[in-house]
Amino acid sequence: MALSHIFSWTFIYDFIRGPMVWISFIIFFCGVVFQVLRFMYLLKEQPVQKLEPGPGNIIHSQTVSHVKVDRVKTGWFKKGWFKKGPDKKDWMLWVKLSIAGVNPFMTIVTTIFHVLLIGVPVFVLGHNILLDNAFGVSMVSLPENVSDFLTGIVIFCTLIFLFRRLFLDRVKIITSYADYFFLSLAAAPFVTGYLAYHQVFSNYKLLISLHMLSGELMLMAVPFTKFMHMIYMIIVRFNVAGEYSFGNATKNW
Amino acid sequence: MFRKKNTAGVNSNEIRAILDEKKAKMKLSLKACAHCSLCAESCFLFMGHNKDPKYMPSYKFLNSVGVLYKKKGNVDKLDLGEMRDLVWERCVLCTRCYCPIGIDIPDMLALARRICRSQGVYPQYDRE
Repeated sequence: MALSHIFSWTFIYDFIRGPMVWISFIIFFCGVVFQVLRFMYLLKEQPVQKLEPGPGNIIHSQTVSHVKVDRVKTGWFKKGWFKKGPDKKDWMLWVKLSIAGVNPFMTIVTTIFHVLLIGVPVFVLGHNILLDNAFGVSMVSLPENVSDFLTGIVIFCTLIFLFRRLFLDRVKIITSYADYFFLSLAAAPFVTGYLAYHQVFSNYKLLISLHMLSGELMLMAVPFTKFMHMIYMIIVRFNVAGEYSFGNATKNW
Repeated sequence: MFRKKNTAGVNSNEIRAILDEKKAKMKLSLKACAHCSLCAESCFLFMGHNKDPKYMPSYKFLNSVGVLYKKKGNVDKLDLGEMRDLVWERCVLCTRCYCPIGIDIPDMLALARRICRSQGVYPQYDRE
């Protein structure tokens, strides 16, 4: 194969839409499995200390440790959580003190962003047609104007994140160049997809190649870079015991 | 920014040994931090100091443990002195900080304290 052929436009285009997709998906899934196994290896069952009164001993008796009683011995579903749980006032206080109460705007923006970031690509009509052509199976798809609107929302959310990084003191102080890079990498598939769909530039092929390439790069980056918070959050919050953990988390690391 | 390092009185190997003990957890946590600043309001010192961003939990661990891992323990007394202010003056290890991703911030700051203490850098309240 001649070198000029490898650097030719058709070869790059075919590579991006062919083997590169497989490579990126394999790296993504293998990376996620590797990271999950690594987490499971690092996390240990938390030793439960017996009641031994005295200075320096953390008392973990059932009468004292409400966390242990609630989380391990009887699940909330067995205790009749809905019947004798906290009343409405407690719930309101709980919400007010939670991150949603303290920072409602950011909570809404970040929730919408993350749900759509994963959801929109799965339900876009174009992707499902490709899947149908290739394998004969596909997901339910959204109407095109709906997915177009949702893509706009994702781009809008990234702009909010960008402006936070640029102008809000408390975010600016901990921002590094990598943050801008990964924010743009997350936004790139959506921006290029949006531009390609609307055929803003005449060179559709270039835009759609950039769209595929950025999506593939993003997938490959998930298990190994800052995007790892996707895996980290799920595993740590469902497994590591603590007052902010979800479910019956009993591990430690 | 690019000042000459005076590593006298600092045992980098000792620091590195402590860093290696918790390397996996700390590196994963540092990588997972999305720099979102949502932990800010959970720190009462942040709220009590007019929301000064230098009291943010993420700022504190990024500039103590984060720097230590980045420089692989090659720090001097001046660096450690800055860290001392960060992890003792601006944090009381009340463990009330909340991270939406689930990063164990108090553990990281405790590690930074341990490293500072191992090099003889800690607040001496009777002298200051």
